[in-house]
Amino acid sequence: MNLSNVISGFFIILALTTNFGFFYGDPTVIDEHSRYELFAAIIFNLIATVYKLGDKTQIGAVLLATSLVADIQLISSASVWAFGEYVVGMNTEVVVAIISLSGGAMIANIVSVILFTAETIKSKR
Amino acid sequence: MDNTALFLIIRRLRVPMFVLITTFGISILGMVLIPGVDEQGRPYHLTFFDAFYFVTYTASTIGFGETPYSFTYPQRLWVSFSIYLSVIGWFYAIGAIVALMQDKVLASQIDLSKFKGKIHGIREPFIIFVGYNLLAKSIIRKLSDEGIQSVVIENDAMRIDEMVLANYTLEIPALHGDINDPDVLRMAGVNKPLCQAVVSLSSDDAMNLHTAMAAKLLNPHVKVIVEATYEEYAENLNTIGIEIVENPFKIVAKRLYMGLRAPSLLMLEQWIYGEPLQLHPRDMIPTEGKYIVCGYGRMGKALRIALKRAGIEYVFIETNPKKVRQMRKDDVHIMVGEGQDKKLLLDAGVKEASCIIAGMNDDFINLSIVMAAKKLNPNIFTVARQNNIHDDSVFKAADIDRVTIVKNLLINQTYIAIARPLSERFLQLIKNKGAEWGDGLIITLKQIIGDNPDKLETVVDEEHAYALCRHLEKGETAELEILLRSRKDHRYCNRAVALYLRRGDEDFLLPDPGMPLQIGDQLLFAGDRESFEDIAYSMENLYELQYVLEGKSCATSVSCRLHTGR
Repeated sequence: MNLSNVISGFFIILALTTNFGFFYGDPTVIDEHSRYELFAAIIFNLIATVYKLGDKTQIGAVLLATSLVADIQLISSASVWAFGEYVVGMNTEVVVAIISLSGGAMIANIVSVILFTAETIKSKR
Repeated sequence: MDNTALFLIIRRLRVPMFVLITTFGISILGMVLIPGVDEQGRPYHLTFFDAFYFVTYTASTIGFGETPYSFTYPQRLWVSFSIYLSVIGWFYAIGAIVALMQDKVLASQIDLSKFKGKIHGIREPFIIFVGYNLLAKSIIRKLSDEGIQSVVIENDAMRIDEMVLANYTLEIPALHGDINDPDVLRMAGVNKPLCQAVVSLSSDDAMNLHTAMAAKLLNPHVKVIVEATYEEYAENLNTIGIEIVENPFKIVAKRLYMGLRAPSLLMLEQWIYGEPLQLHPRDMIPTEGKYIVCGYGRMGKALRIALKRAGIEYVFIETNPKKVRQMRKDDVHIMVGEGQDKKLLLDAGVKEASCIIAGMNDDFINLSIVMAAKKLNPNIFTVARQNNIHDDSVFKAADIDRVTIVKNLLINQTYIAIARPLSERFLQLIKNKGAEWGDGLIITLKQIIGDNPDKLETVVDEEHAYALCRHLEKGETAELEILLRSRKDHRYCNRAVALYLRRGDEDFLLPDPGMPLQIGDQLLFAGDRESFEDIAYSMENLYELQYVLEGKSCATSVSCRLHTGR
């Protein structure tokens, strides 16, 4: 058992699950989505990204790429939220943008988890 | 993906970045969760953006006051906690980065990638030196002054530092690595078509053999120049097809034989190595009488063959009884004992001997042998082997007739092999020519050119002989002799002699001046500066070539152009 594999696996799954937790609910109603969950999703995604850094294998490179995609989408989601709240005011369009960005991040996270699982299954030990 | 250094940095940054993200996350979350009070005394919660903004400037110690309203005490408690938390996080991260910069593994990886970049950037032919010792140093210096690029592989980091300080004309890339790792040679560019030769002049024969094999396996076309002082190693090297195996002791012996029986060849050889075309008093070794040689090691063995071949009477003195027994099998001219022992010297016949050779591998024993012999017989010709280049002044002060510095011979030989391939081949060809042939050549050279002829190596190709190539491509002929004609007056010959012509695999020693030239011919001339200038002009310039061919100078350049078809 490789401890760094445990840690990175842990954060990859955690990133996906918190992301899903935030995404789940009516995409037009902001009250159905917790800001704390978005915060947690961002932090766990960033940590998951850090643990994918410096991996020279091909699958490591793809994992890093998916993770970066998720980071970008989640951070944009939070930025849109801040923009909506302080600059233009919250309306349905902003809310849908926040949720759909996190949905995009979730797909990237799903790809990430699939790759991670595939790599784990492929290895013989 | 080959940039190991970058990956190493990124991988090492994982934990510091994890710490930073976590401390920020905890601080922000706390700021959001703890309720505050606004101006009207109503409770409120910081939004995530407020908290992120606050933590960002607090953690980076900019300090900005409390925002958007003054904090309550629970908030201040949390802020105090998060300041310490985030400052510790930053300190750890910065400390980790500084430690990374000092990391030896990383430094060596960065050096390696720099070295690879330099090798990749080389656009000229280059030579790889394995080991940066005194020999390599002198040869690299000579090559660098000629504009020939070298690359160094060295096991000892101190020597690489020394090399960086040596300040050569060209920048010499150096790789810190062990030759036992085949990747090291590959990284130094042995596979590249521009790699001309691999040189290993270590005093350790096994290492030389190793280098030679590795280089030959990685690139069969590369020239390998190694030193081999033991016969077994030399044979091994020859069987695996290494062209140039240099045995310094054989060179010494060959020169001794030449000095005894064919001084003119010795003169030619020294001239090729860059000395004037004359014999020094130190080369006038006695050709008659008895020789006493101290030391029957690798050098002694080589000297015995030379003395025997020259038909000189000799006796050896050796301290190691094992070596004595080895020699006694087929020869009896050996005595056991210390060379500086007066009684032993007298027994060996120092009084009537004509020459003593101190050939031990210890400089101070050699000096004392020579001193002792001189005391007993002031007229004796003394030859001493100098092992360490640093002992120069001591040997000069000792007033020895001839000092043999084995390392210098190797430097000359290797330099010629790398930078003057035609001269090297010329030396090989004249090796067995005999004294009369040499005498004849030297008289010719002295008559035509004078006491101090120069050497010129040139090739009939596009780069060196544009005009001549055009002329030959048209199907016309040009004899070698036209290159020797004077540009002032074509009826006269310049003071130059063609020593050697190489055409493909054919050698023409002292080629006939009437010989027609072909494209691709390589030529070695002896002559003076003026004649070399004329040779270069006649080969490169259409008008000059026209003149030396036909003896007519073109009055108008237009007609000349028409004539030469340009």
